[in-house]
Amino acid sequence: MNGQQRPILVAEGIHKSFGNLHVLKGASLKVAPGEVVTLIGASGSGKSTFLRCMNLLETPQDGFLEINGRRFGFSQTGAPPRDRELVALRRDVGMVFQHFNLFPHMKVIDNIIEGPVQAKGIPIGEAREHALDLLSKVGLADKADVFPSKLSGGQKQRVAIARALAMKPDIMLFDEPTSALDPELVGEVLGVISDLARDGMTMILVTHEMGFAADVSTRVGFMNNGVMAEIGTPDEILHHPKNERLRSFLNRFHANR
Amino acid sequence: MYSWDFSALQPYWGLIWNGLGTTVIYTLVTVAAGAAIGLVVGILRLNAARWLDILLRAYIEVFRCTPLLVQLVWVYYALPVLIGVDMSAATACFITLSLYAGSFYAEIFRGGILAVDKGQWEAGRAIGMRRGKIFRRIILPQAVQVMIPSLINQTVLQLKNTSLVSVVAVSDLLYQGSVITAASYRPLEVYTVIAVLYFAVLFPLTLVADRIEARMGAHK
Repeated sequence: MNGQQRPILVAEGIHKSFGNLHVLKGASLKVAPGEVVTLIGASGSGKSTFLRCMNLLETPQDGFLEINGRRFGFSQTGAPPRDRELVALRRDVGMVFQHFNLFPHMKVIDNIIEGPVQAKGIPIGEAREHALDLLSKVGLADKADVFPSKLSGGQKQRVAIARALAMKPDIMLFDEPTSALDPELVGEVLGVISDLARDGMTMILVTHEMGFAADVSTRVGFMNNGVMAEIGTPDEILHHPKNERLRSFLNRFHANR
Repeated sequence: MYSWDFSALQPYWGLIWNGLGTTVIYTLVTVAAGAAIGLVVGILRLNAARWLDILLRAYIEVFRCTPLLVQLVWVYYALPVLIGVDMSAATACFITLSLYAGSFYAEIFRGGILAVDKGQWEAGRAIGMRRGKIFRRIILPQAVQVMIPSLINQTVLQLKNTSLVSVVAVSDLLYQGSVITAASYRPLEVYTVIAVLYFAVLFPLTLVADRIEARMGAHK
C-alpha cells in the first residue's frame, strides 16, 4: 500500500475459532483510503470469515482492529465490544452479502432507507431522495416500488449495494457478491462495483472472479490456512506468485476454467 | 325416521346465546393471555440460559403432553388442595386454558422466528441497526407471516377446547346444551344447533385467516 497515507483499516493478528475449528490464525491486513483489495483463496482458507471480522459480524478471539480511528482489541478473556460500539462501527462499514439478504417484506426503496432512517435517524424525505439517486446510480431507478421477489439476482445484488451505500460508508465489504448469480448476470454487478472503484470508494472484496480482481484491484491478497499468505499488486500475485500454495491454487483455478 | 322439532328449543334460546357468549369470551380472553404467555416464553427460549430453558421447556411439555381435560380437572380439584387456595371454576378454567394455549403458541412463535433466515439478522446488523429494532422491524414481520396459519389453527382449536370447561360446570355453550337437553328431552335438536353454532363462529374465522395469509404473502 501507499506508504505515506494513514491506513483507513488495520487488522492485525486476527484469530477466530468456531468450536474446535481454528479458522483465522493471525490474519493481518492494512488498507489505505481509496484502495480496492481483493481477497482470494481456496474455500476454507478463512477469507470470508476475515471479511466478516472487519465489521464485527464475527468477533475475533485475538488481535486488533482499527477502522477509521475506531480501535478494537480482542482477547480470549476480554469483554466483547459493546453494542453501542458495534453499531457505530457498522454505520461506517457497508457490507454486501453473497445471498443479497434483502428484506423481502419491504419494497426496494424501503430496503434502502431502512438503515439511514432506523439506524442513523435521517428524515424519511431526505433518505428517500438519496435512495432514488443511488437506485439510478445502480441502474434501477424504475424499481423503487417493487418487492425484491420481483427482481433478478443481479438486480437484487445491485439493490443490496445501494442499501449499503445509503449509509454513506467509508469502506465497503463484498462477500462473494457474484457467487450466487447466474453467469449472465455477473457482469451487471461487477460493472456497478467497478464504478464504485472509479469513484474512489475503499473496498475489500472476497471473490472468485480473477479477471475482475486483476482489473479493479490495487492489491490482491492470497489467504491460506487462516493467514494472509501473500499480498501484492494484481500482477505480482496473479502472474508472478512466489508462494507455493498460491501457485497451485492459481493452476487449479485455470485448469477448472 | 326421526321427526325434528326445533320449535321445542324456543324457550331456551336465551340460554343458548348466553352459552355462546361465554364460549366466545373464554376464547378471546384465553387466546389473548395465551398469546402473551407464548410470545414471552417463545422469545425467552431463543436466548435463555440453560436452567431457564429447561424450566420453560418443562412447562411447554407438561401442557402439550397431558390432555386438556385432565389439566382442567387437576387445576380445579387438586391444585386448591395442594396450595390451600379456593379457586372458582371460572378462575381454574381461565388459568388452565391460558397456560395450555401459551404452551402451543410459544412453540409457534419460536418456530416462526427461527424460520427467518439468519442472513436477515446479519443484514440488519450490517446497516448498524440494534438488536431490538432488527427483531421488531425485520424478523418479527417475516416470522408472523410464517406463523399465521399455525396461529389461526391453534386459535380455532382453542375455541373448540373451551367446550371442556362444561365439565367443571362453567356455563359455556356445551354446558347450556346439556342443561337444555335435561329440560326439553330434545338432545338431537339441541346438539345439532350447538354444532351449527360452533361451525358458524369458526368457519368465517378460517376464511378471514385465508384472506390475511393471501394479503400478507402479496410480495412473495
